Parts: sequence; C-alpha cells; structure tokens
Amino acid sequence: MKVTRRQLLQTGIGTVAAYGVPRFARAQARPVKLAALLPLTGPFAFAGNAALDAFRDATDYVNEVMGGVGGRKLELIVEDTGYDVAKGTAAFNRVIGKESPEELLFVYGDSTGLSKALAPEIARLGVPYSATSYSSELADPERYPGIWVFGPTYSDMMEALLRYIHEKKPGARIALVHSNSEFGRDPIPYVKQRAAQLGLPIVAEEVTPLVLSDATPTILKLRQAKPDFVLTQGYVLTAEPLLVKTAREYGLNATFMGTYYSSEVILMKRAGPAADGFIATYHNAYSYDKSTPAVQAIYELRAAKGKEPGYLTTFYMGAFFVGVAVGEAMRRAAAAGELTRPGITKALGKMWDYDAMGLIHSMRFVGHRLPYTRLYRANAGKGIYEPLTDWLELA
Amino acid sequence: MTFFWQLLLTGVATGALYALMSMGFVLVYRATSVVNFAIGEFLLVGGYVTFTLAHFLPLPLAMLGALPVAFLVGVGVERAFVRPLIGRSVVAVIMATIGLALTLDGAAQLVWGPDQKYLSGSLPPVLLTFGELILPPRAFWSLAISLPVALGLIYFLQKSRWGVLVRAVSESEVAALAMGIPAPRIVTAVWGLSAALAAVGGALLAGLSGVGPHLVQLGLMVFPVTILGGLESVGGALAAGLIVGVAEALSKGYLEAYLPGISETVPFIIVLIVVLVRPYGLFGRRDIERV
Repeated sequence: MKVTRRQLLQTGIGTVAAYGVPRFARAQARPVKLAALLPLTGPFAFAGNAALDAFRDATDYVNEVMGGVGGRKLELIVEDTGYDVAKGTAAFNRVIGKESPEELLFVYGDSTGLSKALAPEIARLGVPYSATSYSSELADPERYPGIWVFGPTYSDMMEALLRYIHEKKPGARIALVHSNSEFGRDPIPYVKQRAAQLGLPIVAEEVTPLVLSDATPTILKLRQAKPDFVLTQGYVLTAEPLLVKTAREYGLNATFMGTYYSSEVILMKRAGPAADGFIATYHNAYSYDKSTPAVQAIYELRAAKGKEPGYLTTFYMGAFFVGVAVGEAMRRAAAAGELTRPGITKALGKMWDYDAMGLIHSMRFVGHRLPYTRLYRANAGKGIYEPLTDWLELA
Repeated sequence: MTFFWQLLLTGVATGALYALMSMGFVLVYRATSVVNFAIGEFLLVGGYVTFTLAHFLPLPLAMLGALPVAFLVGVGVERAFVRPLIGRSVVAVIMATIGLALTLDGAAQLVWGPDQKYLSGSLPPVLLTFGELILPPRAFWSLAISLPVALGLIYFLQKSRWGVLVRAVSESEVAALAMGIPAPRIVTAVWGLSAALAAVGGALLAGLSGVGPHLVQLGLMVFPVTILGGLESVGGALAAGLIVGVAEALSKGYLEAYLPGISETVPFIIVLIVVLVRPYGLFGRRDIERV
C-alpha cells in the first residue's frame, strides 16, 4: 500500500496528539515538591508548628503570588519528627521512598542530629537539604555537600556578638553559659579561639542542663568571676529567663547575650523587666517590622486567607524565608531549563541578588551558609527586640 | 563561706520543690503499687491549668484554683486508666502509665496549643536577706509552699482518719476492703491528691521559665528523689528531695568547674551509691516490691 505524504503527516500529527500532548500536559501539571520534616510534637513543637504554618503560607505565596515554578505548582509534604532522630530518619525514608526524584526537589529537616544522620543519604541522592539547625559543623560543603544552612552558623552568631563586645568595650571580661548538648557546645571552641584573638578574656564557663530548676549556683559563680558580658548558647528560652531574673536578684550587672534561638520576644514575657537589655542575634525580620516588604506580603497573604493578623514568631519568619527562597531557587532552575535536584543546587549557589523581600541580607552563600545577621536588644517595656546594629557580614 | 551557705540555702529551696513534686508519686505508689511514669505530665497539666486560670485571676488564686481541677484530672486518670487494670500484672499497669504520659502530652498540645507560653502575674516578690545571704522570691515561695504542704501531708497520713485509711489500703487493699474500708474511693482520692500536689509543683516550675513541655523534663527529677527516699515513704521523699537539691547546688558550685555537667548526674550517682547499700532506699521498707 502506498502512503501519501498527506497520510503520513496526518498519522504523525494524530500520534503526537494521542500520546505526546497528554504526556506534555501531565508533565506540566506534575507538581514540584518540598518535604518538611518538622517537630510537630515533642519539646520543639512550638517551633515545628510555627514552621508548618509558615511553609504552608510560603507554598501559597510561591504558587499564587510568584506564579508557581515554571508552570508547575509547588506542593508541600509534611512529616512529624517529634524532634527524634529515629522518627525523623523514618520520615525521611518514607518521603524518599514514596516520591519520585523528578518531583521531590528539596527536603527540610529539624536538627543537627537528624541532619548528620541523613547526610550520607542526602549526598547519595543529591537532594538539596536544609534544617532548623545552624550548626557550624553542617555548613561544610566538603563533608556535607547537599546541606545548606539558610542563615549564619552559631559560630557566626557568636562572631557578631564578639565583634560588638570588642567594639563597645575592648578587653571586656566574658563568661560563657551553655547547655550540655550538641546545640550548646557547637560554637564554644570558636568563641574561645576568637575571644583570645580579640583580647577578650573568658573568665567563666558554666555548663548547665537545657532546662533549669534553679540558676543560683550558676549566677553566684558568674558573680565571683565579674564578667562584663555573658554569652548564652544552647537554650530555647527555657533557661535564659531564669538566668536573667536570678542575675538581677543577686546583683550581677553583666549584659546577657544569646543567639538565634534566644531572639524570640517571649523572653520578655517570661523574664519581665530582668530581660531588658538582653542582646540577641537574629537574621530575618520581626513580624512587627512593617517596613520589611516580606512582612507586608505575609500579612496580605494571611488576610486574604482569613488568618489571624497577630504576632508571628521568629520560627515562622525563618521557615517562611526558607520556603520562598527555595521557591525562588526552583523558579530560577526552571528558567534555566534545569528543574532538577542538581539544577536547584546550582541555582542556590547563584542567588546573590536575592534577599527574599528583606528577610535576609543576601542569599550569597559562603561555605553553604548565609553569614549575615543583625543584633537586637530587648526592650522589656515595649516587649519587643529593637535593632541594635545594621546587617553584619561575618565572612 | 558565704558562697557555701548561699548554695546550701537555695539547694534546700530547690530540694523542697523536688520533695513536693515527689510526694504525689510516693502516695500513689504507696496506695496502689503503681509506678506512675506520667508524673511529669501531671506537672505539665498543673502548669497549663494554672496558666489558663492566671488569665482571669491573680497568680496565687490561679494556683489555688488549679488544685481542684488537677484533683479531678487525677480522679479521671484513675477511673479511666488505672481501675480497669486492677488485678493485671504490674508491667501492664506500668505500660498504661507510659501510654498515659504520651496521651497527656498530646492532649496538652491539643488543648493549649504548641506555642511557647508564660505565666502571667507573679507571687508577691518577697526578697529576704540574712546578712550577705539572699533568699530570692522563687526560693522563698518554694520553701513557703513546699515545706508546709510536705509536713502537713506527713501529719495527715499519720494522724488523720483519712490518713490511716490510706495507710490501711497501702498495707493490704484486700484486708482493707474486708474491714469495710472503701478502698476504691481511697485510691481514687490518692490519685487526685497526687495530681493536685504535682499541679502545685508544676505551677512553681512554670513561674521559673514559662509553661511548656520542658516541665516534663524537670519532672524526671522525681525518680531519683523517690528511689533515694524509698518508694513508699512520704517522709523519705521530703528528706531525699532536700538531699538531692543541696547535692545538686553544691556540685554545681564546687565540682562543675572540674567536671562540666557533673551536677546533672550527681542525683543519680547518690541514688546508685545508696541503692547499692540499701536497695529499698534511705527510708523504704525492706519488703519493697521491685519492678
């Protein structure tokens, strides 16, 4: 049978129409996915649930305001880790086993321990990953190539505090109070080394549990050491309120300082006037800072969804930042025709011009972390943290 | 020397709080032989109930108001979790209390939400000084509340009719029933009282650093205290609480510089040493049933 050119063309078009178009349409309709493994229960449920709310809002923002990711919708997958490495690992395996590598393009986890446990799998799968942890150890592209820290490390945060101390009072006496945990110990070697370089003597080091029933012995020993500044690390406002209250009662006049997890305003509610003057590092925007475009955008989005307009915690702001920044990285990867895990990894390394509407100073990663922060000082009368410095570049 | 006395003073205050937290645990064990692994969650619920009431009432009244609520929670727990297991193996009851702990953790998050909370208001700021020694308000209130409650409870158990009934039930529930003692009602009341005592402890702890799941972690101190004092000795819980509180404070003051983190383990080291010599604790009975 002789086939004419017209018949051949008709057959070809028909075949494309029958098989190609639906496949193309399916590919376009297929979502891209971000998995968030969050501590929705357990001792860090307060942070996990705030982050969940933020990731949901960020997903909506990427889809509705940013127009999706290269014509595809961003979809959020959520798993509870209970702040437990075993449960978190199981959740990770569940997500990885269920989702296709073409769709699941980013994973967000919940702690240093979990991140370290997952690191070999993350490297093997080539999936870009971040977490709630700002561990200095994780920001190591050589050792953990898939892990990105969306903020400064705890060592960076301490660097900011030490620089401030050095500038305000050269030779000031420093005391360290940290929890007996991986989180608490993380930046301590760096602090000791850096303080020595800056000529800031460390006159005391107190190691405590994560939660205190009495801070008197700690404060009495600090009082003997007569520090000018007390650097705290490794608590989530479970110990700081008691420390500052007890310090006030025993007449210890040092300035207390803390890092990211001490920067939530609940400190002032829990410690009252004793919290006044507490200095903390914080690298996103407070939700009461209405001059930040991201804050306006968040409240507009939430208002449109009928959500409450109240205060949003630092944990919310941090997770919203990660959500929109990952969405932006995906959009850039899609624009470059590389909406894949390696494509997003590449995009993350080139987002120098992006500041997530003022939620971060810059997305210029240095050693897989964003070494920028600001210092804030607690104003107990107003119940808020007020900016003490502009952005500090720490690397 | 002031340093030592200051540590001793605040150690006693902390120890009194530990004793208060532990007494409810001991009461339940004494009356029912149940090791209540949900004691930390009882503290948590007490803290949260006080937190809720403190929105409407001054803190001292909120703490008082939390007592009947916590009592009812204790009664409910006994009815729902413990009574159905009467006659079952001790392991089953222990597993039930572990399940209860998880249930209460989840329920607290559902009812009060996961966000960080603080206790509004405060107890009157009594600051006592003795020469160079200072007794800050928290330590004062720990002592002022915990010691009278603990001593009152010991007196109540020794001298009152209800105390005698509780002791009778704890000696032998079957014999008590045979004597016409309403043992089930006594056991229910003991669970309620245990929850109420924990609520006071929870409220005092919540005043330190806010309300939240970290209270459960502080509640774990009940275990070394009760094992040290003897699982069924209310007086032992008081003595052991004071010993642990003082040991913790002194080790924090004198050993921490050489052995960072030692003060966290000191209570357990003491327990280990004492249990090696007296397996039934400092004030426990020799015929103690171990689980």
